[in-house]
Amino acid sequence: MKKIKYIHIVFWSLLFFGCEKSSDTAVALSTGKSGSLAKFTIIGNYIYAVSMHYLYTVDISNPSVPVKTNQSQLSFDMETIFPYKNRLFIGSKTGLYIYSIDTASIPRLIGEAKHGRSCDPVVANDSVSYSTLKGNTYCGPATSGLYVHDIKNLNTPLLKKLVPINDPIGLGMTDSALYVCCANAGLKVYNIRNAYDPMEESTISGSNFVDVIPYGKILICWVSDGISLYDIANQLQPIFIKKIAN
Amino acid sequence: MNYTPRPKVWGYKPVYGVETSAKVISYIPIPKTVITAGNIYAYHNYVFQVEPGLGIHVIDNSIPSDGHRVGFINVNGCAQISIKGDKLYTNSYDDIVVIDFSDLNHVREFSRLKGVFIEYRFDSPIAQPPGPGYYECPSYGSFVIEWKKDSVFQQCYKAN
Repeated sequence: MKKIKYIHIVFWSLLFFGCEKSSDTAVALSTGKSGSLAKFTIIGNYIYAVSMHYLYTVDISNPSVPVKTNQSQLSFDMETIFPYKNRLFIGSKTGLYIYSIDTASIPRLIGEAKHGRSCDPVVANDSVSYSTLKGNTYCGPATSGLYVHDIKNLNTPLLKKLVPINDPIGLGMTDSALYVCCANAGLKVYNIRNAYDPMEESTISGSNFVDVIPYGKILICWVSDGISLYDIANQLQPIFIKKIAN
Repeated sequence: MNYTPRPKVWGYKPVYGVETSAKVISYIPIPKTVITAGNIYAYHNYVFQVEPGLGIHVIDNSIPSDGHRVGFINVNGCAQISIKGDKLYTNSYDDIVVIDFSDLNHVREFSRLKGVFIEYRFDSPIAQPPGPGYYECPSYGSFVIEWKKDSVFQQCYKAN
């Protein structure tokens, strides 16, 4: 019995410390987390990148020798890329595009939700996607706001709700909260326990918010004059910690 | 038929570097003021922020109440970042560059694959001037390292 317990301790500590270690071992190496405006993402052994009209795939299983495995030319202006499990959510000026990476080296388009011309970062999970559209800019005439899509059927995302917001930009989500950057109008915090019906909880003002990363218990915010940090131990009630000035 | 060239205007002119030096990666362990802020990325106790066209700011966030800038990675033509296992993946112009930062005292280029992102060459932040207005179109095959205000022909125009 004692022996089994010992093996358990060794196993779990190996697993735990293994993840923290930085060397190239057989243990799965950890990735970080990007803001919603990113055009690069890493899933498993591949890095996926978008530029205006291309989606690139690079095999990084051996970081000493990156290998390009695919380059898809697409007609829409791609803006952002968001990873979730074996899916890539790509925000473009014409809509939301969902790619399967079941074959990791060659992503395959499996679903799309067109919305007219607009800019659009996106965050998502198994059942819902949130994207923001800036309809009042050079990006085009779509209605500006937060778009909530039911994506249980990835082939046909369904628009469930549109929350009008004047100037939304980046966004980030946790289990129960959605943070939407609204430039000078502040950071809006939504309760998303009812995923398809976000309820506005509060607004943090005083900064020009561009993008966010909920990272564990810390909310990292890109604001126009620096990086602001908030404690989100209570996800719906961010508490200001510090601003690191530009 | 008389041809009258359009008058020169005050605008931006590209400054070129040779490829070998324009693409050198280096780390300066001194905080650098953010001029133009770009994408953010969180990894363990660090926060990274791109300075489009120029490189990556490094913030130590081990103790959030004492979060502070620690240095800057020079990467010309840089636009995007992602990280896995203490390796930072970014672009320098159209190359993908892998940077090892497992030891902040020895941040170094780990590997590189040239010409991956075909559109980043001319669509990268530094391929266009920092502000709106007329600018001299960069010549094909060149590596812009910065922009200077100068008298230029009305070749290219940046709206915003």
